[in-house]
Amino acid sequence: MATIELIDLKKNYGAIPAVKGVDLSVADGEFIVLVGPSGCGKSTLLRMVAGLESVTSGRIEIGGRDVVKAEPAERDIAMVFQNYALYPHMTVRKNLEYGLRNRRVKNEEITRRVQEAAAMLEIGPMLDRKPRELSGGQRQRVAMGRALVREPAAFLFDEPLSNLDAKLRVQMRVEIRRLQRRLKTTSLYVTHDQLEAMTLADRLVVMNGGLVEQVGTPVEVYERPATVFVAGFIGSPPMNLIDLDYLRAQSAGTDLALPNGTDLVGIRPDDMVLIGPVEPSIALKATVELLEPVGGESHLHIRLAGSNQLAIVRVPGRPSFVEGSEISVFARIGDLHPYNRASGNRTD
Amino acid sequence: MQGKRTVFPNKVLPYLLLLPQLAVTIVFFLWPAAQAFWSSFQREDAFGFKTTFVWFANYTKLFADPVYLNSFRTTVIFSLAVSLLSLGIALLLAVAATRMLRSSRIYSTLIVWPYAVAPAIAGILWWFLFNPSIGIIAYVLRRFGIDWNHLVDPNDAMILVVIAATWKQISYNFLFFMAGLQSIPHSLEEAAAIDGAGPTKRFWTIIFPLLSPTTFYLMVINVVYAMFDTFGVIHATTEGGPARATEILVYKVYFDGFVGLNLGSSAAQSVILMAIVIGLTVVQFRWVERRVQY
Repeated sequence: MATIELIDLKKNYGAIPAVKGVDLSVADGEFIVLVGPSGCGKSTLLRMVAGLESVTSGRIEIGGRDVVKAEPAERDIAMVFQNYALYPHMTVRKNLEYGLRNRRVKNEEITRRVQEAAAMLEIGPMLDRKPRELSGGQRQRVAMGRALVREPAAFLFDEPLSNLDAKLRVQMRVEIRRLQRRLKTTSLYVTHDQLEAMTLADRLVVMNGGLVEQVGTPVEVYERPATVFVAGFIGSPPMNLIDLDYLRAQSAGTDLALPNGTDLVGIRPDDMVLIGPVEPSIALKATVELLEPVGGESHLHIRLAGSNQLAIVRVPGRPSFVEGSEISVFARIGDLHPYNRASGNRTD
Repeated sequence: MQGKRTVFPNKVLPYLLLLPQLAVTIVFFLWPAAQAFWSSFQREDAFGFKTTFVWFANYTKLFADPVYLNSFRTTVIFSLAVSLLSLGIALLLAVAATRMLRSSRIYSTLIVWPYAVAPAIAGILWWFLFNPSIGIIAYVLRRFGIDWNHLVDPNDAMILVVIAATWKQISYNFLFFMAGLQSIPHSLEEAAAIDGAGPTKRFWTIIFPLLSPTTFYLMVINVVYAMFDTFGVIHATTEGGPARATEILVYKVYFDGFVGLNLGSSAAQSVILMAIVIGLTVVQFRWVERRVQY
């Protein structure tokens, strides 16, 4: 149980900056997900908190204690690795016990904790097997168990689900969330999968190019992306970004009510509709390029009339559109996200 | 071996393709081995005028001979010392080299060099260094009050051949340990570090057990090397002396056969050595190559 504070944290590899100054306060028991494209510095950040990477400058506090100079073992954290990093020559039980034995925890206490974790993760029957005798999902559970038995101040997860197949990933995602809710252990979780990020996080930290783009609850980040990058990164399919000049020309006479400095407008594919709403809205003419059915809904790829701008509209069900046909799409004025292209920031 | 089985339409062709390899094996291995086996049951006079079939006389005589038994003991001491030393030093160097980030390649290259040196040259090199009259190391040792003389002192002689033989074998072991270390995922060590194990504990509880397949393999290879491939080293330095203190089994085969011209006994000794090699090979295949450590 602990808070984590990152203060102006920086990391350079030689002359190349990987993390360019990150500030973050994690409350006790909070589940924070670091999300971003590969190479954005999220894993480096996590590894710095774990003590596996040296810190170039800045401070890391875990439970109010500055740990920048502390060894990984002294930080009271447990980490789940992407490749699980189970000790292949030890049984599952030995794997779970290893960290406790190194810390000279009493035997009865070790037995109790291992049994508890095994019950919680349903790996009891596998305790005497070696990791190579387990399936991917079971190994994942053991890796989680090794973190659990330690009862650490914080859990660190480094893309723990990316080696699992899609079905198991969903299952383990739910399980991780359930466990964390129950144990209320502060957690930092790194992923590039935005669905994982959205579903797991109390708060999301969206990173890009070594910097934090936005911190907020998943709903906040989804509803009000702070930057053009976040707008394009969070949400699937991604937000359509359309030139304001083009919108103005298409919807002459409509008051778009956008703040000064806006030159780019974002519209979520869900906010584009095919039937004009009652609220004030803009109308755009477009050509159907492609219809992608994805099950319960379909993604309609369109090209806006008189431009090369492509956009995606999310439509319910499996409508029939002839590719190349002309349609009109509508978006409510209230659903427009105003941005400034040069600064990349939101303008309202 | 799994894999596709090729079916030859012609029954003779496969044997024809195997013939060159078979010919080499027969001419250079099976034939001499058979001859040695045959002569080990014979006694031949030094001039080759007369041979008598003596059944197991050569063998019984050998095992009653304290000199031969002593050579056995010398061989065991020598090969264990060489194997353990070269394994230990190579492992130490490999661990140190993998810790290096940029200079690791240069170190590896340098450490591998001795492997390219012929055994006799390695022997001569150390012989010069330790030479009681002109050797630099002997000179330094004398400064420290150690009177080094491998020409007279059996222990000094043994240490010299062990050093020379070990030095040459370190390179080979080093390469295998490097490869072994590099195949252990780095995240295991990181996980162990987070699990509260210090560098020494990490090495003995994680790295060393995971290296054990490599270590077992090298152990067998090293024993074979020390027993059979160090003839050059010994011949160039001590010639088995002083007072047979460094006369390992292979050297005795040569000495009794080609110097002492006791061909029957020499043949019997080489048959015994052959049995030892076969034994080691079985160990190698049975336990080392088939055994999955983890």
